[in-house]
Amino acid sequence: MTVLLSGRDIEKSYGPTPALRRVDIEVGEGEIVAVTGPSGCGKSTLLHCLSGIMRADAGTVTYRDQDLGLWSEARRSELRRSEFGVLFQFGQLVPELTAAENVALPLLLAGSGRREARKSAMSWLERLDVGDLAEVPPGEMSGGQQQRCAVARALITAPRVLFADEPTGALDVLTGEQVLTGITEIARDRGMAVVLVTHEPRIAAYADREVTLRDGRVDATGLGLGLAS
Amino acid sequence: MKPATLLRLALAGSGTDTLRVVFTAVSSALAGLTVLSAATVIAIPELGGPDSGSDGWNSQYRSSLLAEPGLRPGVVATLLLAAVPIVALAGQCVRFGSPGRDRRLAAIRLAGATPRQAVLIAAGETAMAATVGSIAGLGVYLVLHRVLHRPYADGRLPLPTDVLPSAPEVVGILLVVPVLAGLAAVLLLRKVIITPFGVVRRARGRKPSVLPGVLIIAGVFAPLMIRPFGEWLLTQNVVRGSTAFLIGATLMIVAAIVGVVIGTGWIAYTAGRVLRRYARRPGALLAGRQLMADPWSGSRTFASLLAAVIIGAGVYAYRSYLLTMFAATKQANALAGDGGGSFYDTGFYLGAIDLINVTIGIGAVIAAIGILVAVAEGIVSRRRAYAALVAQGVPRRTLGEALAWRAFAPLVPAVLIALSVGVGLIRTPLPAVSVTPRRCGGEPTQCVQLPELTLAVPVPFRDLALIGGSALVLMTLVVGAALLVLRTSTDLEELRTG
Repeated sequence: MTVLLSGRDIEKSYGPTPALRRVDIEVGEGEIVAVTGPSGCGKSTLLHCLSGIMRADAGTVTYRDQDLGLWSEARRSELRRSEFGVLFQFGQLVPELTAAENVALPLLLAGSGRREARKSAMSWLERLDVGDLAEVPPGEMSGGQQQRCAVARALITAPRVLFADEPTGALDVLTGEQVLTGITEIARDRGMAVVLVTHEPRIAAYADREVTLRDGRVDATGLGLGLAS
Repeated sequence: MKPATLLRLALAGSGTDTLRVVFTAVSSALAGLTVLSAATVIAIPELGGPDSGSDGWNSQYRSSLLAEPGLRPGVVATLLLAAVPIVALAGQCVRFGSPGRDRRLAAIRLAGATPRQAVLIAAGETAMAATVGSIAGLGVYLVLHRVLHRPYADGRLPLPTDVLPSAPEVVGILLVVPVLAGLAAVLLLRKVIITPFGVVRRARGRKPSVLPGVLIIAGVFAPLMIRPFGEWLLTQNVVRGSTAFLIGATLMIVAAIVGVVIGTGWIAYTAGRVLRRYARRPGALLAGRQLMADPWSGSRTFASLLAAVIIGAGVYAYRSYLLTMFAATKQANALAGDGGGSFYDTGFYLGAIDLINVTIGIGAVIAAIGILVAVAEGIVSRRRAYAALVAQGVPRRTLGEALAWRAFAPLVPAVLIALSVGVGLIRTPLPAVSVTPRRCGGEPTQCVQLPELTLAVPVPFRDLALIGGSALVLMTLVVGAALLVLRTSTDLEELRTG
């Protein structure tokens, strides 16, 4: 499998507190990788470094043979709205915009026309069964509906990698599974890689491979959640 | 990003953003009105022909300030000076009520907006609101232009309501106010990193270097340089006497203001150290630590007010100089046997100075509103930390005390220095008035030169106390209003909301 994204010797600290200590990770094209581990082990920090949201203090993050650490913040932002998709637990939709506007946002920021962006947004909303909520602001939707909109927004640019940080953390079990099934189906369908951060074995089971972190290091003891095949 | 997208995102704000937008629009309307008034004075036609120069008076106006061509530039300059803090306030509004907007910007960044696009969106909102305000200002201007067109019985006008600026000038003013407000907003956001996880203000916590100290000393001693610098300019033979004085004075005034404003950062840091060393009450100790953590926040916040204090003190010092000159002339005339009369229309000159002081007063009030905006924004952005302190049992009164200490500890010494600098700007080059009276007989050749009469220009302590007191009263009102914001911001519900 061709390596699409990799991290080598990634280190990151918040003040004097180390969050990541020389972490190595690889993600192949179309591969779903679960990053697991207990709270505070550095899962989210690793996702932020890999997606270019934040820079690692040391080490390299390489995407298609390009060192993201050398890119400017603006260029990394452009990457996040073109080849990367980012999905969080909550708080990612703009509360003042409608669902359709939220989903169309990455295209609009990239300079697409309003009509074209809206058409694309509508098709994604319908695919995720929330087409009837196009004109509704996030505050008037349920958590599951909001998360489907967020998925639609993350996927509208047809990214090659989707970064999902506890994407079902704020949802009930049934809704969470529906959302995750949707994500994995689309990923398999389009050959999209997924980096899935979770502390739940049930969610990690959706992945092809599991990387477990403990105290900021990749756990080499084999004591991960162990459910991903 | 297309302009339509920028427009949509800039105007996406909800009810929580209304106050900021209203503030921006109102201050822009005021700025537009002030600049349009200045343009109206400029539009008064010069009556002097090629032979008579521009000395022809526009006798259709009762006020000499409008009728006399030589005085009109001063009126224009005063109006433009008053517009500066108003435009600055419009820009400063970008920081008011920002948590809701910050969440929106962070979400937009998460969707892939670059930091530049996020700043553009925030500045775009300011520019839009400023445009609305600017147009409203034009509306108010046109209404006032019509309503105030009431000639006196002798047919003369109280205001230049018979002229209007040209259409291109009006359009230019309508555009320049939003552009300046937008630029001010970008400038104020330059220290703000808009990240996908929220807005972070980059506080400059490091200890002020020697440079601010040097600048404040330069500011304090700048007045000493006005006369030598003007004389040096004269020796270069590139400028005329009045121009040399004008250039010298302007440069020194700017140096003094910059010195005092930047020096306030140093004062704030030093005040913080003193509080931390000697204070015993928790509020003062907290304020001391906060002042040391971000000493520049004070100089940024107080800049407009301190500039108004410096200029106000300078104007009162000049008033004192004029009064001394009138007194000296009167005494000289008495000695010369002219009965102690004066050639000067003292009422006119003092009236003009009072008018300038009224403008400066308005500027100071607007600067105080700007300070309130900044202080309130600071409270709101720290509301969760404050709410957490209250939840842990810290009395709100302690937080209020810290707020007051943080405001007054740097402001009181800064105002004293600003007053000294303002007076020094005038009094240092013009410490006394000297007149040589001449007693004449029937023929001019029979004139006898009497001993020179010299009167020292007194320091206008009463007026300075008034200015300093007014600045502190304004600040007290600001702190009072900020305490109300603090009360609502320390509601324990804040711990449960974003």
